[in-house]
Amino acid sequence: MIIPLLLIVLGVVLFVQSRRWPAAVQNVVLPGSVALVVLCLWHIGAAAQERPILPTPKLVAVALVNLVADGTLWRYVIASVFRVSVGFVLAAAVGIPFGLVVGWSTRAFTAFNPLVQGLRPISPIAWIPIAILLFGIGDGSAVFLIFLASFFPIVVGTMAAVRNISLVHVRSAQNFGLHGMELFRHVVFPASLPQIITSLRIALGVAWLVVVAAEMIAVNSGLGYMIIDARNQGMRYDLVVAGMLVIGAIGIVLDLGIRRLETFDEVRWGYAKR
Amino acid sequence: MTDHSEKGSLFTSQRFSDFPSMKEALIARKIEATFMIAPLAMKLVADGVPVRIVYLGHRDGTGIMVGTDSDIQDFAGLRGTKVAIPSRYSNQNLLMHRMMNQYGMVDGDITLLEMPPPEMPAALANGDIDGYIVGEPFCAKSELGGWGRVLYLTKDIWPDFVSCVLVVRKELIDEHRPLVQELVDGIATSGKWLDSDMVHRMDAAEVVGKYYYNQDPELLKFVLSKPPDRVKYTDLKPMQKNFDEIMALANQTGIIDKHMAFDEYVDNSFAPDVFTLTVPFDRLPMEPAPDGPGTPVTPAGGK
Repeated sequence: MIIPLLLIVLGVVLFVQSRRWPAAVQNVVLPGSVALVVLCLWHIGAAAQERPILPTPKLVAVALVNLVADGTLWRYVIASVFRVSVGFVLAAAVGIPFGLVVGWSTRAFTAFNPLVQGLRPISPIAWIPIAILLFGIGDGSAVFLIFLASFFPIVVGTMAAVRNISLVHVRSAQNFGLHGMELFRHVVFPASLPQIITSLRIALGVAWLVVVAAEMIAVNSGLGYMIIDARNQGMRYDLVVAGMLVIGAIGIVLDLGIRRLETFDEVRWGYAKR
Repeated sequence: MTDHSEKGSLFTSQRFSDFPSMKEALIARKIEATFMIAPLAMKLVADGVPVRIVYLGHRDGTGIMVGTDSDIQDFAGLRGTKVAIPSRYSNQNLLMHRMMNQYGMVDGDITLLEMPPPEMPAALANGDIDGYIVGEPFCAKSELGGWGRVLYLTKDIWPDFVSCVLVVRKELIDEHRPLVQELVDGIATSGKWLDSDMVHRMDAAEVVGKYYYNQDPELLKFVLSKPPDRVKYTDLKPMQKNFDEIMALANQTGIIDKHMAFDEYVDNSFAPDVFTLTVPFDRLPMEPAPDGPGTPVTPAGGK
């Protein structure tokens, strides 16, 4: 008990002291000290439990090491990332064109917006029986649930992006003689791209968020499966928390990855104009 | 958990829709007692959770289902197929392994797939699986739906099959013995009531279906009567020979990695003795009489 308390003090001291240090050092020390304090509080809380469900950080670390050692972790990460990638790419491939059309055409918007808004708040978990009916058990259903979860943020984001394009852009393009597909390709799409990318970023977060729910369906791999399977066992809550941590870590990596899209030149002019 | 009145203690029941949440509530002692699949209860004891099995939920009440039109006629026909099991910690899984032992099959000869029971009938109808083994009413659902056929009922392949057991926290056993006794007596009495007259079973199907489980009463009536010994609610004292066999199969399949003696996970001091004369299921009327009581059956004598 004394060691975690000392570490908490250390974390707080580092946090406070870092004010005087260079920004590059602060970028490491600030999140590091917060993580240290959270880890220690977790340890103290877990150790104090009368009926232990929550494992200590040490037990989780051991579980993670074992998962890495026997190769299951890598296999599960690949399986989950594969399902999320397929679902997400399909959602983007269908959602962006659909959102563009519905956002551009007032008639389409009037027709489809209520349906989209009505389907959007339904949790993917509620879709499980229908997913099984349509796609059977296994990867197909899991991908479908991830598709659904990321489809609606993309559609809504794209629709809003098109509808929010500054009229100045559209009118000046029309004055230059751009119409139809050309107007769409050279002005409407690029102008809405920044907001579309924001919606992709949100959608990817949601897609990764539902991986646990999607893998509730009889699949036998993946990080979500690992958590569900561990809950089915006697007392393997170390695996549950290990799965949570890995999902969180990969979530960070995915978000960093998709944020790089925002730095492309094709996208940047859209930001500058707003 | 309980209120006391002159008539006895009031036990509050809570319905869970999945095994893990129920197990977690028991581990965290948010509930004191629960019905759960037998090998999972044993696994919890093996993992150091202070609980004991004090009674059984029912006997039999499980079937192996296959598609109506499939050419699977016996267990040997299941070789090379995909069969859903409710959980690898279920005795249904162990029964599959018991049968595979008998038929000289090894792991992998049948692909066993864990699946939540409510999804099994649809998965069979879809052709995603070739068969499934599960407790009622999920067998009857496919049978009544027309797409499923009973390959075996447990009474024909592992008589007195143990599916779910009543698990109670050790603290409650140690500190509130009379309360646990009252609980077990209550369950035993209602079991005796259920098995003594088909009219009682039909009444129970109506009440339980409508007010507790949100199940079609007709489905439950089917389960409770076709045939009457499809599921039994008497003779529910945990017997060592049943559990030793379950333990051996659990060790064989690796779901429990250490051998435990019967007394380590069962506390048999609450269960009433098994009746020497069990309920004559073959003499229960198949259909309830339109009105008035059916054939009353009195279990004769205790051991």
